[in-house]
Amino acid sequence: MSFFSFESNDLEKEKQRYLTGEVKEEGLTEYTWGDNSYDGLGDVLQERGDELNDETFGGIGDVGKDFDFTRQVLPGDVPLELRQTPALQHTNGLSHERSLSPPQKHAYLSQSSSSLQSIWDNKSPFSVLPKMAASTSRVADHHARPVTTPDLLSQSQSTHSTFSPFADSIPLRHSPALSQESSLPLAGSQMEGRTLQEIEAEMRASAMRSREAPQLRQQQLLQAQARTPPPRLHPHAQSPRFHQLQQHILIQQQQQQQQQQQQLQDLQEQLRVEELERQLRAQQISQLQQQQQQMLLRRQSPSGPTLAEIQAAQHLAQLQQEQRRRQHSPALDQRYHMPQPLQESAQFLPQNIQMQQRLLAELAQAEFMRDYGTPQTQEEQEALRAEAVRKIMEAERMEEKRRRKASKIAHMSRYNDLMTQSDKDFITRIQVSQLVTQDPYLEDWYCQTLSRLRRARQGLQPEEQRVLTFDSGVGVGLGMPGQRPSGRKLSAVQRMEAQVERIVNNARQREREKGLQSLNSLQGALGKTAGRSYKAAPRQLLQVDSTKPAANGGHTEDEFKARLGEHAAKEAAKLRRGVFGEAYDEEHNFVKQDPLTRLEVLVIIEHLYDLVLEADIFVERHGLLDDVEGLDERKEHRAKLINSMYEGLKIKLPIETSNPHPFISLLGPVKGKRLLSRIVPYLEGEHLLTLLTLFVTCFPQLDVVTRAPILDSMEDTPEKREIERQTTAFQEFVMSMSMVPVFHKVELRVLAGLLSFLHERGELVTIARTKPGLDLLCLFLSRADSLIHAYDTGPEARPPPTVDSLTTWRVMFDGMFDTLTPHILDLFPSERILRAQTGGTAQIPPEQLDTTAWQFLASVGAMASLSQQQTLVTALREKVLDLVIGVKKGWVADPEERNMKMKNVNIFLHALQLDSSQITV
Amino acid sequence: MLIFSVFKTLTDQRVTVELKNDLSITGTLKSVDQFLNIRLDGIKVLDEQRYPHMMAVKNCFIRGSVVRYVQLPAEHVDTQLLEDATRREAANQTKR
Repeated sequence: MSFFSFESNDLEKEKQRYLTGEVKEEGLTEYTWGDNSYDGLGDVLQERGDELNDETFGGIGDVGKDFDFTRQVLPGDVPLELRQTPALQHTNGLSHERSLSPPQKHAYLSQSSSSLQSIWDNKSPFSVLPKMAASTSRVADHHARPVTTPDLLSQSQSTHSTFSPFADSIPLRHSPALSQESSLPLAGSQMEGRTLQEIEAEMRASAMRSREAPQLRQQQLLQAQARTPPPRLHPHAQSPRFHQLQQHILIQQQQQQQQQQQQLQDLQEQLRVEELERQLRAQQISQLQQQQQQMLLRRQSPSGPTLAEIQAAQHLAQLQQEQRRRQHSPALDQRYHMPQPLQESAQFLPQNIQMQQRLLAELAQAEFMRDYGTPQTQEEQEALRAEAVRKIMEAERMEEKRRRKASKIAHMSRYNDLMTQSDKDFITRIQVSQLVTQDPYLEDWYCQTLSRLRRARQGLQPEEQRVLTFDSGVGVGLGMPGQRPSGRKLSAVQRMEAQVERIVNNARQREREKGLQSLNSLQGALGKTAGRSYKAAPRQLLQVDSTKPAANGGHTEDEFKARLGEHAAKEAAKLRRGVFGEAYDEEHNFVKQDPLTRLEVLVIIEHLYDLVLEADIFVERHGLLDDVEGLDERKEHRAKLINSMYEGLKIKLPIETSNPHPFISLLGPVKGKRLLSRIVPYLEGEHLLTLLTLFVTCFPQLDVVTRAPILDSMEDTPEKREIERQTTAFQEFVMSMSMVPVFHKVELRVLAGLLSFLHERGELVTIARTKPGLDLLCLFLSRADSLIHAYDTGPEARPPPTVDSLTTWRVMFDGMFDTLTPHILDLFPSERILRAQTGGTAQIPPEQLDTTAWQFLASVGAMASLSQQQTLVTALREKVLDLVIGVKKGWVADPEERNMKMKNVNIFLHALQLDSSQITV
Repeated sequence: MLIFSVFKTLTDQRVTVELKNDLSITGTLKSVDQFLNIRLDGIKVLDEQRYPHMMAVKNCFIRGSVVRYVQLPAEHVDTQLLEDATRREAANQTKR
């Protein structure tokens, strides 16, 4: 059999034919040394250059270390057969061993274990002859040369008749089977015997293969090498030059071996260096020192090896000894093992190439230094060395870093493309489907509104709602439009949008196809939206019983009404008791109520907020619609909403209902103050007037007014801070945002009436001593001013005020002026604070507090008659001079404070057509 | 989905996430999903002495269920609007 199946038949056939005597001389050259017909050509062969044979083939007892081809195979790795060979060889005799040519030698090995041979070679045509030769030699040795021709054997040995592959045709009659079972000449049994052997060989081979696969590979390699030498190079056919060549090869091998050893040593040294470096990294401080020591060591190393080198050498020696013990075989044998150590070292070369390069560079440098750097001082050398080493190590570190990164990326890339695009799409679909809601805008209201507000604040065009809406009204909010997503995010968003769009388009198409069944066409288009878990995804963890409105702030209209009804019933009961005189305080009459508690106030405010929101949404949805259809309904709904708000504000309740009035109570919390600014835009005409009247009338009841005296202090208490906060909120939300628009709609007559109302109740001074009060009076004056001088040139420009109303207003103003003049200094918070302060630790209050007062006085001054202006100036002369002199003499250190003082004074003086510069100090 | 909506407006802002295991992580909010899972970048742990292992962590993904609080940057939240939004949400929920 052979590797080429077509040959096998021939071989078998030919063999059988030969065995049966069919074929004898069919053109086959038959070599019969020792026969009568032997032509003796073998003897004629010139044998020259044999003097090196011993050395070459390892026949001379102890072979030097030079031939150690550092096989780094563990004893266990070597097949038993291989290890046994030396012993076998010894039994066979040195001379015999010496004379064996390489293939024969190998064949000999294989003979000692036919199974080993059969692994790779039994079926090869090349192997046939060596095996035959080996077997014959064995037969000759152990069986006292009985059957086969001993001459032939001796001849073959003496003539080095190693067999080239071309000798295939020769040994057909000496097939291994035949020679091994030469006692069974039966032709019929040939096939069977052959098969048995083959089976056995195969079994062993498979066992071996599984056990010693690496070994096998290696041996296959060897075998291939044994085979590959071209026949021309055979010693038999070659001139003495061949032997020289062989010798040369041997020398080369020795050199290679030495190089290998050198490499090993290098590696050892590198390891050592690496170890040192590790230490260096750990101890950065002593880095340079150690490096220098190392350098010193290395420089000394030519004369005396360092400890590590010695260790390395010892290790090497051990290795060599082991190898020698293991392969106590001729150099020739070793030659076949040559590639192995090379291979092995080559295996870990790539990892160390870089190290080697570095080392080489270092060595080269060291050499350079040694050669040319002699004039340099020791220190310079050291410095240079250290610098170089530092640089090298740095580069190495960078390299290391890069490599680690690359390896990490490579490591992570294992998970690349674990998900296909369709998987990702599927997940996107799930996510989108969970975000789809019935009312995407409302669900995403905060985000949408905020982005709109921000855009408005930035002066950008308001974008359309960033909501993907589908046909059936469901949709997804798309988040902030302001910020453009970038990079991967952008692509993700785009992908999602594209996907959703596709989904929607598909759904539309389906809808079209389905026609009338389109109602639920989108259902399931994004996956199962009505499924089990998605609605519960951000689960409401706080499950409070919603029947307690106070606890969770849930307040439906019904509840609210019920509560109000309860309240009314209580009041009715009170009334009844009052009427029937049933042990009840008589002074409580029909309209009187307890002021609203804080809780009640908050509940009412929240209810009002709900109404406002409802109105907001209503306007948002239908405000822009102009179609007539349902216009009345919408109007009605809107009116109803507004009316509810109005009712909710409790403006209709009589002024005496309670103190403070429920409406004023509602303005207590900051959010109540805020609420007013949101309700006022919805109110119109009569409602506003009522609101204003109530507001002005009950003004003294406001928390910011009643508690204002607390502000007249320099102490910083939490209470004061709270009132300041409230005052600011009041100023912002009630005065500027609610009352200013309201005031813009009233006429002079109404203003006069309201002012008289305040006047009559004798609360003018009280009010004027508070900031909100001054603000209110300022509003009165400015509105009156604009009405009198007909500044009001809005679209709804009114006819100029009648003479009658002008007179009324004048009277009212004069009354106010007369009332306030005696207390004019009291209007300044700074004056009040200074007066309240007793003792030496007087603090000068900041001028900023007085600004409102100055503004008010300026308004008064502008409106006052000449005599009134005179009075004003007289009353304020001292104060004004005080400030101006204080500023001009430089008694006020803070420039801001100085500016403020001058500004305040000028506000007032300008109203009188004066200026602070006119005042000479 | 109010909170989801709020978080959407807070992307790329610094927020502090307090976890149920008392770990407080400050970082730039990168994304939030419907489970309120949070992705943070450039994170810093409040008490680094106690959690030294977190010093090397640069970004993280926080499962929504382990979050106790999220401290929002006040300057990036429109409190009034948020109040209104909560009112709307409450109204919506009572309607349902």
